[in-house]
Amino acid sequence: MGDKAERILAGLGGAENLVEMEACITRLRTEVKDASLVDQAALRAAGAHGVLCSGTVIQVVVGPEADTLAEDIEDLL
Amino acid sequence: MTEESTEENVVKTLHVLSPVPGVCTPLGRVPDSVFAQGLVGPGVAVAPLPEPIDAVAPVDGRLVKLHSHAFVIRTPCGRGVLVHLGIDTVKLNGEGFVPHVAQGEEVKAGQAIISWDPAAVAAGGRDPICPVVVLDTPAELVRNITTEGTEIASGSPLFTVGPEN
Repeated sequence: MGDKAERILAGLGGAENLVEMEACITRLRTEVKDASLVDQAALRAAGAHGVLCSGTVIQVVVGPEADTLAEDIEDLL
Repeated sequence: MTEESTEENVVKTLHVLSPVPGVCTPLGRVPDSVFAQGLVGPGVAVAPLPEPIDAVAPVDGRLVKLHSHAFVIRTPCGRGVLVHLGIDTVKLNGEGFVPHVAQGEEVKAGQAIISWDPAAVAAGGRDPICPVVVLDTPAELVRNITTEGTEIASGSPLFTVGPEN
């Protein structure tokens, strides 16, 4: 799980690119500084079911483990 | 599938009940791409009646996730069934949602899980539609879907899942 959190954070462009993150029941809703640093293929490889981008708002669909994953990512920040 | 799955469980058909009274709506019409594209799994949505209601458990199992506006029940055969009460309702921070059970408890299909008011959600500018999704399951296993546009009572059969073959 910790490894997955690291890979998802990396796929979002790293801690310095992350403005905000919250977990809904199936997804991480994040806002990033620079959407071009988001690597959708890497996020999928890390286990995301899908990635939805709307400007700098990036939603990473991870299933119902979203809240524990968000805590793991917050520990990395 | 989890370790406790047995062959006997796998061939059983899972009956998923409607968590709310309302109108059956295809998942593809839910105004949220994660649900509409089936990214978390296949299922059906129910547009709830605009009055204070209890959202009930659609299946027997363990309440493995409980948020104020959504929950996941893990069935004895290992499937996760997600009920989401309205779209973008995470933004309400639980206001207007009253849980009746705690995360981790065993629940029975039809048991009240969360009281809420779809009309209040709609008044706040959010769609109160309720996606009912079977997590990590091939779409072709979802069968006997109640016809679109049908008015369905809470606790009535909404669709079935499986058997696998």
